[in-house]
Amino acid sequence: MKRFSMWRYPARWPLFRVDDRLLLIFTGAIVGILSGLAAVALNRSLSFMFDYLHRFRGHFLAFLLPAGGAALSSIFLNQIIREKPGHGVPEVIYSVSRYGGLLRFRSSFSRLISSCLTIGSGGSAGPEAPVVMSGSAIGSNIATLFSLNDKQRVTLVGCGAAGAISSIFNAPIAGMIFTMEIILGEWSTVNIVPIAIAAVVGTEVSHFFTGDQIAFSHRNFSIHPLDVISCVGLAVLTALASIILTRMLRRMHGVVAKVSLPFWLKAAVGGCAVGLLGLYFPDILGEGYHSITEMIGGIFEAGILAAALGAILKIVATSLTLGWGGSGGIFAPCLVIGSFVGLFFQRGLTVMFPYVDWVNEGCYALLGMAGLISGILQAPLTGIFLIVEITGSYEVMLPLIVVSAFSTTISRYFEPASFYLKDLVERGQLLRPGTDSRVLSDLSIAELLETDCICVKKDMLLRDFLNIVQKSRRNYFPVEDEKTGHFIGMVHLDDIRPYLFNRVMYDTVLIEQIMNGKMMTADISDELPAVLSTMDENGFFSMPVVSEKRFVGMISKATLLDQYRKELMVQTSDT
Amino acid sequence: MGTRLLHIFRNTPLGRETLFQSAYFCKQTGFSLVIYIPRFKKFLMYFKNDAVQVDLDDSYLVAHKTAEVHAKEITESLGIEPVFIQEDAFTASTLPDIPSDFDFMCCPRSISDMSSKVSLGHIGSPVRRIVRSAKFPILITSPVFKPWKSIAVMFGGSRNSVKALKLGFRMARKTGMPLDIFTQIEKPSTRKEYKAIVTSKNFDKNLSTYLHHWYLFEKHQFEENLYDVPHDALVVLGAYGHGVIKDILFGSKMETIQSTLSNNLLVVGPKYSQVNR
Repeated sequence: MKRFSMWRYPARWPLFRVDDRLLLIFTGAIVGILSGLAAVALNRSLSFMFDYLHRFRGHFLAFLLPAGGAALSSIFLNQIIREKPGHGVPEVIYSVSRYGGLLRFRSSFSRLISSCLTIGSGGSAGPEAPVVMSGSAIGSNIATLFSLNDKQRVTLVGCGAAGAISSIFNAPIAGMIFTMEIILGEWSTVNIVPIAIAAVVGTEVSHFFTGDQIAFSHRNFSIHPLDVISCVGLAVLTALASIILTRMLRRMHGVVAKVSLPFWLKAAVGGCAVGLLGLYFPDILGEGYHSITEMIGGIFEAGILAAALGAILKIVATSLTLGWGGSGGIFAPCLVIGSFVGLFFQRGLTVMFPYVDWVNEGCYALLGMAGLISGILQAPLTGIFLIVEITGSYEVMLPLIVVSAFSTTISRYFEPASFYLKDLVERGQLLRPGTDSRVLSDLSIAELLETDCICVKKDMLLRDFLNIVQKSRRNYFPVEDEKTGHFIGMVHLDDIRPYLFNRVMYDTVLIEQIMNGKMMTADISDELPAVLSTMDENGFFSMPVVSEKRFVGMISKATLLDQYRKELMVQTSDT
Repeated sequence: MGTRLLHIFRNTPLGRETLFQSAYFCKQTGFSLVIYIPRFKKFLMYFKNDAVQVDLDDSYLVAHKTAEVHAKEITESLGIEPVFIQEDAFTASTLPDIPSDFDFMCCPRSISDMSSKVSLGHIGSPVRRIVRSAKFPILITSPVFKPWKSIAVMFGGSRNSVKALKLGFRMARKTGMPLDIFTQIEKPSTRKEYKAIVTSKNFDKNLSTYLHHWYLFEKHQFEENLYDVPHDALVVLGAYGHGVIKDILFGSKMETIQSTLSNNLLVVGPKYSQVNR
């Protein structure tokens, strides 16, 4: 029985109790395999749906396909799984920053199915973010199975995200960097090893099922210094496109909230509108990888205006799909919009400067993709390494860096937080490890209470009070109401100074007469940052804390600093 | 901080009965009553190792405007001053997080399924998950408000039932009510062995102070013997909060008890850690 119980709890296996890092590497590899499988499953399902539905694309009612898919996706998420539509990445980041990466088990498959329905039917969205959500939830639940602590669980959530991105793009470095830059927001040695393992394993899973192929193959590019300089202009355009996409997506959510239709009908309306746009411009439908391949390969035949129109319509279609209740991410749409923008820019340059030997438009499509990813996610490294890996074109490294850096900088000027983090920042819930807000959020008033104060009654004589002062090591004495036990004021040693040298007063003055009855108090359930700002505004070094109007202790900045340091050391330690 | 019981209020006649139970519980024990009036159909509770999503049924969102007034009327009629909490953190825009640092929580038998709420249906899966993950005991109320006058602890010798017994002593100390222990002797165990467990946990002093009667059943089925549990007792029991499949495979004492007795139940889960206050 004892032996059985040991097998039942993997965390008790002697092998893993030897070294926590070994345990993390092993579990990271498991998470990498499972998230890789999730990515492959979604990819295969999407291919199947595209192939199956392709025969109906020519029908005049084909615009109803995305409507049906979005409605089904919405019903699945809202009624069956009971989750909110969308891509889920902010949920992962929120959980990592506030709850040690705890994610629901249902999230490990919910977005896979819903995004497959939305994208497979032609909705304009990407499969990457749902796979990240799925991989992260797998990581979180594996951590629970192995009884890992919060820090280790966060690492496994990162492993899930890295494995998923690595598998879906066949890009392990991009998977690692995406995780570090966006999901975890920290680079620590203890995280990197398991995340790297998960990224490699995720990629190998993808190799096993789909072969080792580059997502978007291309011709060789010969890049001149003028091309590198022109990238600044491209960065301006991609930043502009990313700002428009961010704002349009958010506005669309606001508009949809005011529409009083059932949730599934809203999703269908959005899908229907996308379907209608798709009748005239099919490149905007689905994830759009086919269009990207054409643009990078230099075989996109439509002209400069078609490229501009493609970028605009893809932004509108993505906003309609995701804003009205469809499910999916923005990664793939960003790649499509970016390549349209790059194409438009290159063709514009060729028209304006026909005698300059610009590099071919496929290269600009790549640069546009990096610019848009960097602009909307404000994660330049992810943009750079993703494009390098999915195209295998190391020769574009220099212009990639220029586009990504400028695009990130410009879009950050107008949108201080990235698309994934915007909601969290606005709600004050983005708490990255080692930051002031995170440290404070991990401390509670109850932990900081100094409870060695002696309470006194309001009708106590000064003489009796002085006896208590002799016994106490504190300067503050809370005054309680004898009947209710409620806190009614505070006596500070300074308050009795005027009476100390006049012994006549000892039997005349009551505590009620010298106490400060207007002392500001903090409630034990208050958030620590709010209490701290009250102390700062009023110049207090300490404050009484009450619970249900009763005094429970004092909170002081000295104790806070002590605990703050300890918490900061825990959060930033590499063990 | 005082000991607090969390109550999710439903502004319906059934919700009124449930709130009466919570308010009565707080009145008897001197604990504080914290009320959450939901504005969304679901909420999340993050526990140490699990994130439990509770999907409420539509009745929880009925007449939201009058909910607070009704809740105050109910609690004040029993002399309890409640504290109302609101969502201040959200996992998603319509998915608030509710704190999980309470000392007790009140749940109806099921909080997502209307069919099993009024009668003695099965315990719903969110309630099971909360039992499994929470550090606090769960007060599962009877369908109609009924003041309880004694404490009945179901003690089967397991680790969880020892925790339940501890909680039973705590409740008896807080309320001053008599405490009965109910044990179904499962062979090959003997009476002596159950008593030895209690002695080994240093409960002798508590037994002599609070115990009214220890019922040790050797004959008849467990369900039959439950008839001896006073109809007006608060039943304290330990449970693992297993899911439905494990219940079907291995059986569940909690399910047997809750589907046989209409009393208020105080269920202690495996993560329960007692704080003496």
